[in-house]
Amino acid sequence: MANSKPVMSMYDAPMWESIGRHRLELQTCSRCARFRYPPAPICANCLSLDYRWHPIAGRGTILSWVIFHRQYFDDHVPPYNVVAVQIEEGPIILSNLVGPVPEGSWIGAEVEFCYGEHAGRMQHQVRLREHSSIAAESA
Amino acid sequence: MRPTSANDQSGAEMRDRNLAKVAAVVGVGHTDWTADHGRVRAGEKPHDSYGYAAIAFTRALEDAGLHRDQVDGLIVGPTTAYERVGELLGIDARWGGQADAMLAVIQACMAIKAGLAEVVALVYGNDQRSASARYGGADPVGGGAFLSYVYHAPWGFTSQGALYAMMFRRYMAVTGITEADLGQVAVAQRLAASRNPNAIMQKRITLDEYLSSAYVCEPLHLFDYCLINDGGVALIIAESSRARRIRLDPVYIHGVGRSDLNHGATSLEPRLFDFYRPAQAQSAEQVFNMAGVGPADMDVLQVYDSFSCHIPLALEGYGYCKIGDAGRFMREDGISLDKGLPINTSGGHLSESYMQGWNHQIESVRQLRRECGERQVANCRYVHYSSDVAGKAVSIIYGR
Repeated sequence: MANSKPVMSMYDAPMWESIGRHRLELQTCSRCARFRYPPAPICANCLSLDYRWHPIAGRGTILSWVIFHRQYFDDHVPPYNVVAVQIEEGPIILSNLVGPVPEGSWIGAEVEFCYGEHAGRMQHQVRLREHSSIAAESA
Repeated sequence: MRPTSANDQSGAEMRDRNLAKVAAVVGVGHTDWTADHGRVRAGEKPHDSYGYAAIAFTRALEDAGLHRDQVDGLIVGPTTAYERVGELLGIDARWGGQADAMLAVIQACMAIKAGLAEVVALVYGNDQRSASARYGGADPVGGGAFLSYVYHAPWGFTSQGALYAMMFRRYMAVTGITEADLGQVAVAQRLAASRNPNAIMQKRITLDEYLSSAYVCEPLHLFDYCLINDGGVALIIAESSRARRIRLDPVYIHGVGRSDLNHGATSLEPRLFDFYRPAQAQSAEQVFNMAGVGPADMDVLQVYDSFSCHIPLALEGYGYCKIGDAGRFMREDGISLDKGLPINTSGGHLSESYMQGWNHQIESVRQLRRECGERQVANCRYVHYSSDVAGKAVSIIYGR
């Protein structure tokens, strides 16, 4: 077995640097303003090559989730979850839900992005928004 | 699915039917899956991918009653190099290529239609189990072809089963289908395998056993996953008039269809937003138009079942039931040899062997040749094969 590792194309590297700064940035198309994920050389919507990096607001909704019961990587010990989150800007991003999990179905739960150290690199994660607001109020 | 207007017969419909009954399968062969499975489990390595491919080819050739020198086209499966297979089998083809099972069949029809070949051998061998091929983790099989297989690894998201688990979880929420409904697939296919001496897993299972089995990637259970094994499969496809001279009962390819969803594929949009339906609908329209038949005419449905959830998706996408009705269809109408529409009559990838769609092709042919013994579907006239791996919906209709 081995540790998991990110795909690191020349377009991915700036995104991972932004994750390292605890604020996920994605490319936005200079012509049609569409966000790209994964990072890409061209806009699949309007075929423009031009883009700039833009931080995402950091909020999204869970579309689906799974629980791994089998181990595939040294750095991911089951059971652990993976969630598919549609961010407000449009794209779907896969991440891990940390902290409390919803009762029953997770689909439709509102989440916000947070950041944590994983196997020597900084990664994005998500947590339930209601939980974080409760935590903020109690703090 | 049929042409809507009788007046619109010339242009579109003629094009639609361009590959209908152009070619027929005249020979099929496979390696000894059960015996080799036992040997691999005992730590032996019976053959490598090329060896399995070679054995399957000689058996298909013998089944067709042909000599090697009568083969003028060669298509090899994805795990072996084209030139080396041709070298091993002594075939200097005038047309050749490399393709997966479903596209190999379609490419053979295209080459024959174009006059580039007349008798095409399709040859597949895979030593994936004895070679410890890994479909999840670091450097998984298929990672070079599908970015979605590797892109989400930093969050532990790996293995093709996990992609289908993510898709099926949302599909459950949208349609109301349950894990018990999905369990009908594994139970029905194991029933079929119990009547198939070639199947690796022949012991029947109950729905309770399915539900109490371990999760691999929840909500998918162990029984929802295909069986990784060594083996080989080969088919000989010939131009139709030639096929009739080769044997009395050639199995014709009545139609083919294809439609691909690539948009947003890495972030799983075709899975989570569309459940592959637009691709399946287009592929269905093309294949049924070309064959001049519809879902109600099919006696057997073969579905590429790397995971069980391909079956409900195909039932809805190809028009065998209404959208959102697959759970009820499987539970009440039935999908087994004993009840309803027989699906994956050999046991499929879940219970016969994971031969990457190749075993479904030869099972289709054998059902139509009425060679299937205990698992034979009575009066089998048409078999529909479909695959929708990663949202690429490919469809073939075989018939007498």
